[in-house]
Amino acid sequence: MTEEQPAYHVQHVSFAYSPEQPVLSDLSFSILPGSWVSLVGPNGCGKSTLAKLLGGLLAVNEGMIEVQGIHLSSATIGKLRSHIGMVFQNPDNQFIGSTVEEDIAFGLESRCIPREEMKERVHSYAEKLEIGHLLSKHPAELSGGQKQRVAIAAILALEPDIIIFDEASSMLDERARGELLDILRGMKEEGRYTMISITHDAEEIMASDRAIVLSDGGIAADLTPWELFQDDQLLQACRLIAPYPVRLEKELNKLGITVPQEIRQSGEVEDRIWPLILKK
Amino acid sequence: MRNRLLFGRSIETGSWIHPIDPRAKLTGMVLYLAALLLVDSWIPLLAAAIFSLIYMKMTLIPLKYYAKAAKPLWVLMVFIFVVQTLTVDEGRLLLEIGNVTVYAGGLSRGLISASRMLLLVSFTAMLTFTTTPGLLNQGLGGVLAPLKKIGVSADRLTLMMGIALRFIPTILDETHKILKAQAARGADLKELPWLEKGKLLVSLLVPVTVSAFRRAEELVLSMEARGFIIGEPRSEYHKLVWSTKATGFVLSFVVLIAIVLVLKLVLT
Repeated sequence: MTEEQPAYHVQHVSFAYSPEQPVLSDLSFSILPGSWVSLVGPNGCGKSTLAKLLGGLLAVNEGMIEVQGIHLSSATIGKLRSHIGMVFQNPDNQFIGSTVEEDIAFGLESRCIPREEMKERVHSYAEKLEIGHLLSKHPAELSGGQKQRVAIAAILALEPDIIIFDEASSMLDERARGELLDILRGMKEEGRYTMISITHDAEEIMASDRAIVLSDGGIAADLTPWELFQDDQLLQACRLIAPYPVRLEKELNKLGITVPQEIRQSGEVEDRIWPLILKK
Repeated sequence: MRNRLLFGRSIETGSWIHPIDPRAKLTGMVLYLAALLLVDSWIPLLAAAIFSLIYMKMTLIPLKYYAKAAKPLWVLMVFIFVVQTLTVDEGRLLLEIGNVTVYAGGLSRGLISASRMLLLVSFTAMLTFTTTPGLLNQGLGGVLAPLKKIGVSADRLTLMMGIALRFIPTILDETHKILKAQAARGADLKELPWLEKGKLLVSLLVPVTVSAFRRAEELVLSMEARGFIIGEPRSEYHKLVWSTKATGFVLSFVVLIAIVLVLKLVLT
């Protein structure tokens, strides 16, 4: 894979489950390797369908999807599958094995990986996601957040280059969601994964590099998360609320205070403000 | 609620029986069933019961778990007991009420049959208690592998078994949730007359089935995304190792059959 070769190159893609109801029409965009893209938009705008198309679980009606320069089709999906991992919304319905260990091993077995390597990968990725102590547990004994960690470990163990998160955090509680976000940030820092996350979570969008806004089956906007959260109209169309630091900065701007770039990036705005209030 | 957790769940105690090859355990259980079918009098039954108790003790799993495993089938045991008691008319007449007669032979037959059932259900629970579902499944695949010759795919059967075992607790959980939701809207199963209960159960079946289908669809996507293709070769995570202990385990059941047969011959 060369630096220039995009992870995804989507050209004029259209899709409909039935001809009367087109879901996606004429989408074109590219995703660079190693980047983290959020797909956002209101419910029913076709985000999950797009995720399935990108994951090769559905076939496009028109247009073409290229993965790392290879045309995604029924002929190439078998080969490309090993490059793409998908994490879904419901942690229960993607838990195939009867124990954590077996679930992580499931995909490895499908890929005919030798036993010794399987054992090694299961243990190392379980440790990485801090579920090493849960390996012998049945899914009924796990919390939603733990199950979602298992799902991610199961995907990471397959060592894909591209990982698609289809609303992976939407069924989790606040704390588990925060933990998941930390995992995603860690993956981003590693730099080996191209990540696509479909999400309604403002923090998650903010943490990504780029946001593609879908609306009525088309791309409504393709911009940085920061730009997205400045655009009130777009936020309303997507039914999103900007994360706290962004709203805070907006209010400061209204008062005529501009936040220096380096403070904004380090996320320290609140830390700078509250001592000022205390001093009063 | 806690009882459902027992279904298909293994209980790790570190006994010598736990790590035995699941194929040996499956074979042992079939032989055990054969031995029980040969039992038709008290002394062989006693021998089988002692044998079973020794094994249950050796698993280091508390006996109450085995008792719990047999509990859901108590109606069947009572039924077997009653039918045998009332239909067999051998030996001394013990009781006569109108048309109903109870003979000593019938009573003894009924007790033996019910005890056999009790032994069978509680003892075979050892299989799921000492083996994780994944291993059990793999063992089943091993035992069923010869079926390929007559065109039956063992992979598909074991895959179905595995998914069923995995999802039964999840779907039961969901059923409880829907029952509670119905109760919250005034249709409480516990307080309704029998006919209404039946109707309510039908209305329960619809959402449970629909959601099971939805789960199945998501599960298929998830399996596909992880590269699963039915019929394609796969590597196996667990390695089945047939140890000498496994051979001993199977042989012990052959010995049980022999003991039962000898006792039968001696006693007749």
